[in-house]
Amino acid sequence: MKNSILISLLIFLFSGLLFGQADQDKLVGVWEPSNGKARVKIDKIGNKYYGKIVWLKEPIDPETEQPKLDKNNPDVSMRSAPLRGYRMLKDFVYSGNGEWTEGTIYDPESGSTYNCVIKLKDDNTLDIRGYVGVKALGRTDVWKRLSVKK
Amino acid sequence: MKKIVWPFMCFCGLTLCIPLLSQQDTTSLNDNLWEDDDDYSLYDDIEFVDESAKRFASAKVFDLSPQRFISIHWDAQLPYAMNFSDLGSFPVGENTTTYSETATANYTGGLRMMANIPVVSKNSIIWQMGANYWDTRYRISDQQGSAGSAGLGTILQSWGLRTMGLNTTVFKPLNEELFLLFQGSADLSGNYTLERFQSLRYLRYSAAVMIGKRSSDRKQWALGIARTYRVGELNYLPILLYNYTAPNRKWGTEILFPARAHYRRTFTPRSILLAGYELEGQSYRIRELSTSQNSLEIRRGELRLRAEYMKQITGFIWMSAQAGLRYDYSFNADFLPEDGKEFFRGFFGEQPFAMLNSLGSPLYFNIGIHLVSP
Repeated sequence: MKNSILISLLIFLFSGLLFGQADQDKLVGVWEPSNGKARVKIDKIGNKYYGKIVWLKEPIDPETEQPKLDKNNPDVSMRSAPLRGYRMLKDFVYSGNGEWTEGTIYDPESGSTYNCVIKLKDDNTLDIRGYVGVKALGRTDVWKRLSVKK
Repeated sequence: MKKIVWPFMCFCGLTLCIPLLSQQDTTSLNDNLWEDDDDYSLYDDIEFVDESAKRFASAKVFDLSPQRFISIHWDAQLPYAMNFSDLGSFPVGENTTTYSETATANYTGGLRMMANIPVVSKNSIIWQMGANYWDTRYRISDQQGSAGSAGLGTILQSWGLRTMGLNTTVFKPLNEELFLLFQGSADLSGNYTLERFQSLRYLRYSAAVMIGKRSSDRKQWALGIARTYRVGELNYLPILLYNYTAPNRKWGTEILFPARAHYRRTFTPRSILLAGYELEGQSYRIRELSTSQNSLEIRRGELRLRAEYMKQITGFIWMSAQAGLRYDYSFNADFLPEDGKEFFRGFFGEQPFAMLNSLGSPLYFNIGIHLVSP
């Protein structure tokens, strides 16, 4: 009897951990920002989440006719890095309730990096809020999940 | 039973340990911002999981000057001549050559503060609320007036002019290209101070509504109509918005005609020059010249031909330095009946003015510091 109680307790504890793990990993996948100009793949590396640009609507710079570079980056050494492959989401940590915090988002258009919080609205929709100092001074973009065509 | 429990516990222990063992030192990832270990062709042929997902037109185009959350400016004009008529009834179109009061404004300027905070900011709708406060002080010399003059120069020097107001902006994209834009504001303008505050019955309301198209990442335009005080007195005008960035992204335009129009030169995303004009206007109630029946309001409208340089100082803090010519479009005054009931003269109305005034057109300067939006 004692053993069956112990087993039930262990199953309960570990299923909670596994489901918790599943919740935080819902962020992992390929997402499209509202402007449709890019696709971002979010991966978990260690215990943090990172998102890199994997697709660009206009991958070629019309001025140079070469793949677009991160030419607005304030770090001069990064200006020759291709935009595709760039980690624009960094250091997100799951803080519960479908929210990832403590990360930053980089806007290649302006070369600015903002504080950011990510909220899972439903399994296929993210609210990405970039802000300056306090969350009230920010802008929310809605990202949609992508998958391989059926 | 023990035979079952121990393997189970070992399995659970391993399950827990695997993520811990696989953790990496993320400090090094911060430095390694770019990686190219993916087959990117995989991402060409994918689609929304949620088939109802919609794309919306963005409120911005490439390289627009940064939107300002909070701005603090100091504005100052070089000396200029002031000419005021006496109080009376002056038909529209009349040119007064004999003023009853003349003076030199040695200093005209003061603080201007603006805040614009997003209430809702999503890709399906953006709603912002803002507040502004402008303080204009006058230092006047060489005053000369006839016996019947209204003493406007002395009043301006004693009390200055102030404007404070609230405004709201709603941007509603209809689909990937079309959008609606609404702006509204309520402003209280006059020579009041906090100690002798002006009644809210003298609030003046402006609004604009537009429908437009964002045809590419570099171009958006819109057409609409505005109720405005940009020329000093109430007017209804058609308006055109046209924001454009050239393919080389070195220059563009930021136009909301007729309120303002600027050519933009982008040196870097953190360093911008704007050159063009802006119309400024308010209807200022002058307490000392008003009666219980009639509110006397100066219809100040001015055209500012200018160049403005904006530069990022650090992070989201930007500075601006502006210089140009302040051209006097109107400093005339109206008596508003029933203690401040607004009327519409437009370009063709014949209601007489209560004062005909003219100001010189000096150079002016404006410096500002801004907290800008993401």
